[in-house]
Amino acid sequence: MKRHFNSFKAVLFLFIFSISLVGSAQTPQNGVAQSQAPYYALTNARIVVSPTETIENATILIKGTTIEKIGKRISIPKNAVEIKCEGYTILPSFIELSSEIGLKKAVTEKKGNGGAEESSKGGSYYWNEAIHPEIDASHTYEADEKISALYMEAGFGFAFTHEKDGVAQGQGALVSLALSTLYKPTMNWGSGSFYSFSKGVSKQSYPSSQMGSIALLRQAFYDAKWYKATDQTERNLSLEALNAQWHHTSFFYTNDRWEILRAAKIATEFNRTFTYIGAGDEYGILDQLKGLKSTIVVPINFPKAYDVTDPYVARQIPLSDLKQWEMAPYNASILVQNGIPICITSSGHESSKEFWEHLRLAIKHGLPSSEALKALTLNPAKILGIDSKVGSLESGKIASFTVYSSNPLEDAQTELLESWSLGERTVHKKLENPDLAGTYSMLIGGRRFPLKIEAQPGGKYTAMVTVKPNATVKIDGDEVKVTLEINQTDITIQFAINDSLWSGSVNLRGKINHKLKIIEGDGMIPTGKWVPWHAVLKEKGKAANTADTKPFLPDTLPVAWFPNMAYGFDSLPKAQPILFSNVTIWTNGIEGIVKDGFVLVQNGKIHYAGTRLPSSPKGTIEIDGKGKHLTSGIIDEHSHIAISKGVNEGGQAITAEVSIGDVVTPDDINIYRQLSGGVTAAQLLHGSANPIGGQSALIKLKWGFTPEQMLIPNAPKFIKFALGENVKQSNWGEHSSIRFPQTRMGVEQIYYDAFERARVYQLEKAKLGEKHRIDLELEVLSEILKKQRFISCHSYVQSEINMLMHVADSLGFKINTFTHILEGYKVADKMAAHGAGGSTFSDWWAYKYEVNEAIPYNAKMMHDQGVVVAINSDDAEMGRRLNQEAAKSVKYGGMSEEDAWKMVSLNPAKLLHLDKQMGSVEAGKDADLVLWTDNPLSIMARVDYTVVDGLILYDAKKDVTLYDRNQSEKARIISKMLKANEAGNKESFEKKKKGHYHCNTLGEEGTIEENQH
Amino acid sequence: MKQFLLILTLISCTVYGQEKQRILLTGGNLHVGNGTVFESAAIGIKDGEIAFIKNSLAYTVDKADWDTIIDVSGKEVYPGFVAPNSTLGLTEIDAVRATRDYDEVGTYNPHVRAQIAYNAESKVISTVRSNGVLLTQTTPRGGIISGSSAVMTTSAWNWEDATVLKDDGIHLNWPSSMEGGGWWAEPSVKSKNKKYDENKSSIVEFFDIAKAYTQVNQPETKDLRLEAMRGCFEGTKRVYIHANELQELVDVIEFAKTQGLAFPVIVGGYDSHLLTHQLKDAKIPVMVVRPHSLPENEDDAVNHSYRLPDLLRQGDVKFCIQNEGDMEAMNTRNLPFLAGTAMAYGLSAEDAVSSISLWSCEILGIDENYGSVEKGKSATLFVSEGNALDMRTNKMVLGVVNGALIDPANFQFDLKEKYTEKYSGN
Repeated sequence: MKRHFNSFKAVLFLFIFSISLVGSAQTPQNGVAQSQAPYYALTNARIVVSPTETIENATILIKGTTIEKIGKRISIPKNAVEIKCEGYTILPSFIELSSEIGLKKAVTEKKGNGGAEESSKGGSYYWNEAIHPEIDASHTYEADEKISALYMEAGFGFAFTHEKDGVAQGQGALVSLALSTLYKPTMNWGSGSFYSFSKGVSKQSYPSSQMGSIALLRQAFYDAKWYKATDQTERNLSLEALNAQWHHTSFFYTNDRWEILRAAKIATEFNRTFTYIGAGDEYGILDQLKGLKSTIVVPINFPKAYDVTDPYVARQIPLSDLKQWEMAPYNASILVQNGIPICITSSGHESSKEFWEHLRLAIKHGLPSSEALKALTLNPAKILGIDSKVGSLESGKIASFTVYSSNPLEDAQTELLESWSLGERTVHKKLENPDLAGTYSMLIGGRRFPLKIEAQPGGKYTAMVTVKPNATVKIDGDEVKVTLEINQTDITIQFAINDSLWSGSVNLRGKINHKLKIIEGDGMIPTGKWVPWHAVLKEKGKAANTADTKPFLPDTLPVAWFPNMAYGFDSLPKAQPILFSNVTIWTNGIEGIVKDGFVLVQNGKIHYAGTRLPSSPKGTIEIDGKGKHLTSGIIDEHSHIAISKGVNEGGQAITAEVSIGDVVTPDDINIYRQLSGGVTAAQLLHGSANPIGGQSALIKLKWGFTPEQMLIPNAPKFIKFALGENVKQSNWGEHSSIRFPQTRMGVEQIYYDAFERARVYQLEKAKLGEKHRIDLELEVLSEILKKQRFISCHSYVQSEINMLMHVADSLGFKINTFTHILEGYKVADKMAAHGAGGSTFSDWWAYKYEVNEAIPYNAKMMHDQGVVVAINSDDAEMGRRLNQEAAKSVKYGGMSEEDAWKMVSLNPAKLLHLDKQMGSVEAGKDADLVLWTDNPLSIMARVDYTVVDGLILYDAKKDVTLYDRNQSEKARIISKMLKANEAGNKESFEKKKKGHYHCNTLGEEGTIEENQH
Repeated sequence: MKQFLLILTLISCTVYGQEKQRILLTGGNLHVGNGTVFESAAIGIKDGEIAFIKNSLAYTVDKADWDTIIDVSGKEVYPGFVAPNSTLGLTEIDAVRATRDYDEVGTYNPHVRAQIAYNAESKVISTVRSNGVLLTQTTPRGGIISGSSAVMTTSAWNWEDATVLKDDGIHLNWPSSMEGGGWWAEPSVKSKNKKYDENKSSIVEFFDIAKAYTQVNQPETKDLRLEAMRGCFEGTKRVYIHANELQELVDVIEFAKTQGLAFPVIVGGYDSHLLTHQLKDAKIPVMVVRPHSLPENEDDAVNHSYRLPDLLRQGDVKFCIQNEGDMEAMNTRNLPFLAGTAMAYGLSAEDAVSSISLWSCEILGIDENYGSVEKGKSATLFVSEGNALDMRTNKMVLGVVNGALIDPANFQFDLKEKYTEKYSGN
């Protein structure tokens, strides 16, 4: 959960000198109406009217809530109150898009174990509590002066507030941050609704994973369209709200860059545009963002430097975290340079000081200050559709702006002076002596002393007085420091003197007369006498040096790797022809194992494989394979790597609507680790929590690429089914005994019921056509009935295997693959007759009761009965050495080496219906190749190269240098962090906040036990 | 397979079990376990011991001297492999609580003894035995001191005859210096364990009490817990300290020194390659983390666990390979392939054998009788079709534990036979 201004604990130090009330309060007033100035004129200011235009020595004339006139040479009406702003800078008020100001935090209402199946909300609302678009922030908003004041201190005049909870969160409300007691600050302009992938406080068990949230939101959108298009007797306020918000601005909260791409897929599906509230790491998906044409609301609460003083702790910090720490301040700048429109949110800051520090840091790291301003003013105004009224300072626009002693975007010493919100003035600080600097001739009790007053940043002054050791001798004196205190027009001067006439302290009090440029008063001299004194300006001094005006030169822009973590590429590899020579080729084709062969890779495909030396184009990478073995890449039929936020959607027994393809994540180190073991492709399966789980993702292990680039184009569709102990929740503790099914008997009925519903659904769909409600779950089940989607079913014991084959046969479809299938050896003949394949473990057993009769001869025995058999991993560790697992079938049952090898290459390709493009070393197939140091089934075999689509993505030699590069990159950033530590900026290295682990939370926060094999 | 059946027939007249026979194995390629290879060895077994090792070609067999003579020419002979630090025998089906006997209630449980809970008839053990793992250190888990382990054979009628060394040591789970980390599908960042120092002091305090208590040989009232600690200071019991991270290892070395532990052993030692000089100087051996395990951190070398045994060898640190981790009981049968993987990543072939035989026994303190096939040692060995560290060729055709022939098959083999017959009848 991001921290936010609402979470402030800090005491508010804000001095409000005067409040004048303007605007049209609709509340009856007590007594005679408040008196108001007819006009205000802020004169002689440096006014930044818009990000691209600044007017020097300009005036703003305000009437009521609006700007009457703005510019140079404006005639000021007689009845105006003039506020002199010489030397001051005025910026338009900032607009905060991501705020919860004035709203109560959503809380969980029910307590107790476990999730509820049904919504606890009565009334005409959506069935799932995470969808509550009907919530409107303006209904519950209550002004919060403390938080308003904090926003105001940071330069904000408006905030778009909403309840940050749930998947469809509801409607936001624009509020003015004026501190008025009479004025109701919720405004009638601007509209926008909010979405996220987090289910929030809903106690319903569904959704429990990110893919579940995605499916839920899509379903809700389809329901909204259907509700609008049809005449429903049952009213649904949630769907009405979704429709009402459809064409307004929609904000989407994201926790990392990949979530933006996930949300963007939904946007495309429904022909909508989202404005993304980012996480600060969007620099990693520039190409994709360019295509989206969406605005990104970027946070600038940059990660703090970790405490790296203890090297034992420092070595544990992942490089990915270090790199993000270093890159974060560049994020906004990189986005802007790449033409991606941004807004800036202050979200996540504890004080205005911190916000300004970070904003200036972003500017120092290359964000032009005009762009920073735009991201805080005009851009958010445009997003909310209120740029005709706010976001810049023009006549006719709203008088909401902030007055600073200097330009706050450049000068860290600037003082916040006044905030104007809807024409209402809040004074934070008065600077009465804008031009006191200079050299003065000071006369005290008849003695003359030169006095020099110097302006310091932040409206402060220092002074020196020249005293001579011997008043009678005409020599230059010594400069003595003066203690100076200025309070509006009162001045106190005190200095020490020790000469032939006076010895002691001179203490003066006086008044400053700005018009006459004279300071006069009386004071006590060391003799104890009170004497009159005065100081006359001789020469005007310089204005305060704005500190830090030197252009900031960041060290070389840190480079983001692909992915931005250990073992990432400096730049993405490009396809180059590759020639493997003199190598033993395990073709998996009719040639079998070919010795002294050649394989030429071109354009990502195997161009030639055979025994003669092919002619290779220029620039071919030549790899000598003498004494080595070349195979096609290992294909893991059953993997759960590279999946974000939940491999199980355990919220319901049937979750066909969810898809692993929606949540593939490319920065999982396990991708690289599998490559190091020769894996080039995998089926990423949903977990086994449900009889009907989610859809699979068929991917290639394209380390460094995006999720979309990892997905195999036009791959056949798959879905996960599961049987046995996991779907019965047998091993999840005693409280998991409520969800149907709890027995194998129940599992069968789940299937019959689901497919009967799918059958009826299809009939109704045919009847109603366009008017039919799209049900994402039944759509997918219908695909199975129509044989458009294959099933990979988690299964162990023979009874359940036979049951499912009966169910499938009776409904006219096939079970494509039984995965795990540890008792397959008992029913291999039936599997062969049904046409099912088996994807099994080599030798796992004894981890639960249903694998008590699992035997390592299983693979061979199924193979002997004509079943297409694969060996899979289901485990990131074993996935790295599937060659060893395949080799076990040589031991257990005496399978031939060629057949054993096929169980991790050609056979899984067949089971996944990808064997036309992969699974063997034959010309025309995808260049997914592995060069082994030895027979791949040998215990001695190590991977030299792994090639995916013709790209060398793992190179054993380079792996060693990459490790060294990682270490030196870590050292470099850690030493940078150490400097930050020395400057007092450190945060102890903490585990990232995660939700509570709970023995029956599933998916996103699931524990190992629940994600069992 | 033919060979296997042939030998089965050969010895089928003899009863598997605890009967000590006079056995002669001829012609095998003997991996002694101490780094040497003896080609065409004649191995004489009498009274449960290795009577001699001679050159088969020069040895004249007198049939009267032997109950069983087996020609194992072309095959490989190994000392029985040793699986230290294992719950094998203490658990049967991981998910079924009723079958789990390795984790007792309590924080300091040195008095809790694994030996007597060892289920000699475990079906899991039978599958482990078939791959050449003939000894195991049955080890409790949980708490700070989990209990006392014992070294057992994997072929016995009951725990009494399985016992090779009872209560060989206590197992101390050193606190983790870091917390968090998640798991591979949902990794999360680690943080410093804020209670680390506190946890450490509590261990020191317990050892101080135990040391004081054991100064008197016959105390008036016996404290079971502290009595069990006695051997740790007297040198009859080892202290197995389970620790992995750098900070922990440095502290363990200091702890072992200040407590004057006679035989400290580090179990795990994920970061031990960074401290080889210290470990060598302190003479602390390492039962190294399972080679088939994922790197702890995403930045670590992808093959860290594969290479760790060889890194320790290069650093001259005494070590052996163990298998603690996911599904460790059933996975114990893959112990030979753990050593095999370490071999692929640097260990020599015979060092790889030693890392699961002689070196393990040295660390366990049973090397006088076990760990290598040498004259005078217990006849605990097996014959494999081929290289036993390679999963293609690890096929036990014959095994001997304490001089008694064992059944290389198991119930899984029987199930295979049963269903193969079903299909052949079709």
